[in-house]
Amino acid sequence: MNRRFAILLVLAPLLLALCLAFGASGFGFPVLAWENEILWLRLTRVLAGFVTGAALAVAGVVLQAVLRNPLAEPYVLGVSSGAGLGAAAAILGGLGALGAWPVPLAAFIGSVLSLTLVYGLANDHGRVPIYGLILSGVIMSAVASSLLMFMVTLAPIEGLHSVLWWMLGNLEVGSVQLLAVAATGMLAGCGAAWTLAPELNALTLGTDMAHHLGVRTRLAVGGALICATLITASAVALAGLIGFVGLIVPHALRAWLGPEHRRLIPAAALGGGAFLAVCDALARTVLAPVEIPVGVVTALLGGPFFLLLLRRRRGGGWLE
Amino acid sequence: MSAPAIEIQALSAGYRDTLVLREISSTIAAGEIVGILGPNGAGKSTLFRCLTGLLRPVAGTVRIFGHDAFSLSAPERARLVAVVPQEVETPMAFTVEEVVGMGRTAARSRWAGAPMARDRQAVERALAYTDTADLRHRPLSSLSGGEKQRALVALALAQEPRLILMDEATSHLDLNHRLEILQLVERLQSEQGLTVVMISHDLQLAAEFCHRLLLLDRGRLMADGAPAAVLTEEHIKRVYHCAVRVQSDPQSGALHLLPTPRLPNGGAVGRGVHVHVVAGGGCGEETLRRLALCGYTLSVGVLNQGDLDAEVADALGARLALEKPFSHVSSAALAAAQALSKQAAAVVLSPAPFGPGNLPNLDLLEAAQVAGQQVFICDGIEARDYTPGHTAIARVKALLAAGAIPWHTPTDLTERLREKATVSSKQ
Repeated sequence: MNRRFAILLVLAPLLLALCLAFGASGFGFPVLAWENEILWLRLTRVLAGFVTGAALAVAGVVLQAVLRNPLAEPYVLGVSSGAGLGAAAAILGGLGALGAWPVPLAAFIGSVLSLTLVYGLANDHGRVPIYGLILSGVIMSAVASSLLMFMVTLAPIEGLHSVLWWMLGNLEVGSVQLLAVAATGMLAGCGAAWTLAPELNALTLGTDMAHHLGVRTRLAVGGALICATLITASAVALAGLIGFVGLIVPHALRAWLGPEHRRLIPAAALGGGAFLAVCDALARTVLAPVEIPVGVVTALLGGPFFLLLLRRRRGGGWLE
Repeated sequence: MSAPAIEIQALSAGYRDTLVLREISSTIAAGEIVGILGPNGAGKSTLFRCLTGLLRPVAGTVRIFGHDAFSLSAPERARLVAVVPQEVETPMAFTVEEVVGMGRTAARSRWAGAPMARDRQAVERALAYTDTADLRHRPLSSLSGGEKQRALVALALAQEPRLILMDEATSHLDLNHRLEILQLVERLQSEQGLTVVMISHDLQLAAEFCHRLLLLDRGRLMADGAPAAVLTEEHIKRVYHCAVRVQSDPQSGALHLLPTPRLPNGGAVGRGVHVHVVAGGGCGEETLRRLALCGYTLSVGVLNQGDLDAEVADALGARLALEKPFSHVSSAALAAAQALSKQAAAVVLSPAPFGPGNLPNLDLLEAAQVAGQQVFICDGIEARDYTPGHTAIARVKALLAAGAIPWHTPTDLTERLREKATVSSKQ
């Protein structure tokens, strides 16, 4: 197991370095110089890809453990549709023209609001049953999506384009400050989730059993959900909705390294980050100069890879 | 150490507006093995949830080693109490070692990267004790039921608790694995002084392994004491609404609970019909039992005292005509038997062997035939006649020739008896 983790530790930085060589302007390592704009452009983009991928993968790990559900992913609790609604409202309201900040901020607020709502709906006299949480998340998503579609149908054509582009995910960073703020949010969330690893392990046995093992379950579940929300909301604010990373990467790494969260969380961060950076590099270059939305690449690349893995190591990470 | 392991005082508890437990009080000393019994809905699980601090009592207190169970913090509680549940499901493929390691969640430092020596030691000890060390790299979900349950005991042990609560922990195991787990628990109690409280559906195993039993009935503590005092026929009838017989094993003193036999047709077939049986040598017990099951009123004789058939007949509530042990049937005993068989609707010869001593019993059958009573004779007398001149064979053949009805198996017998009984009732 430790050897496998070491492989990941070496492979991830190598892949990131390789990603620097890809760009819309062609293949080749940019000259390492302060004034080289291409270097900066690619560096921020690779960094954004890495941080976002790491964040989404860790959020997936956390939610799958807390909800004890293999289909849980960062968007399962309505976080994505909430964010989408917020962002679309900002874009269509013309706030997008005011700079790099309003749209991400609206997305962040939208996702936090939707999660609060989901949590509140599932709350039953102080107890938050896991199934209630999943159900209200699904319903929240459905309602928010309908609202989003309604807004889109009313939108002018140019607004429609930017909403659509945002919904498919985009790692082009509007400003370095935005990247710094969002990255801080994501890394803090990931770090906090890592410290909850023992609790996450115990919670996979169910909340009652975790309670017997000495976990303050309400605190632990609440803390884990807050981490996942902070991470997802920051990721969505920075890069829009990028699907699949939070679902596939945790499953693949769990099958490879086992489900122990002390090991799985850092592994998911490394693996998810490298995966998204590579996907983005491909998105920029495959049809250059046309850029493919990165969400499309993650799905096209990740889907078959995951199915292959599932067939080969059936039940390696999850039970059948 | 002086505080009792569990102290329950006037505990009432429930959910929303239904009160499940009412005014339960009991004290469990450290080092005891105590079983909590009761039918479904009696409040076992609610009591269990109060003991583990999952449920806040409506009134009263539960103290664990002197601390209030509900206000104890989760990590503190985990150091005192461990739980072995009926089943644990994790959707993820954790190995046995990883799961047992979760027992250290409360004790282990969050910030230490690798487990401390003490934690590793606790896990190793738990694995060794439960004989699960060989399974350590197997996913928990791949284990068989018995192995899985041992791993869960290991998980509880890794907490190094002073009290283990077992929540129907052996309910879905087969008998040998149940015994294995309970023997393990017994060993833990005797070697490490652990207190064990088990919720159980298996009255007999609970009686065997527990020092003390608490019997719950509709939310109230119905009995609290030694197994023999709690599991009485009367208590079980009141709580479980079913009739059982409680017997104490002469060898071990263990209690055996035997359901009272179910009667075919509710015993209606033979109700009110008196049958006299000639038995002896322990060969008539099956016949007697079968007739009793069908509800016939029985009388038996003449039998020697101490004959197995006599004991069986007595247990079945039959009236008996007895002779002293190893003695020839005297005319006095024969007269007593005659008095019984005269009242019977039918006289049955069971597959009893005949020797000079009990040959007079055939007089009963002959007298009955003469008197017009139905006579039923088990075939195969040839192999059971030990009289010098094969007198028994000759006399039985004469009975058959005169219209006695032969039978082969006890089922045969009851069927023939039923036919005759309906015929006679039509007459």
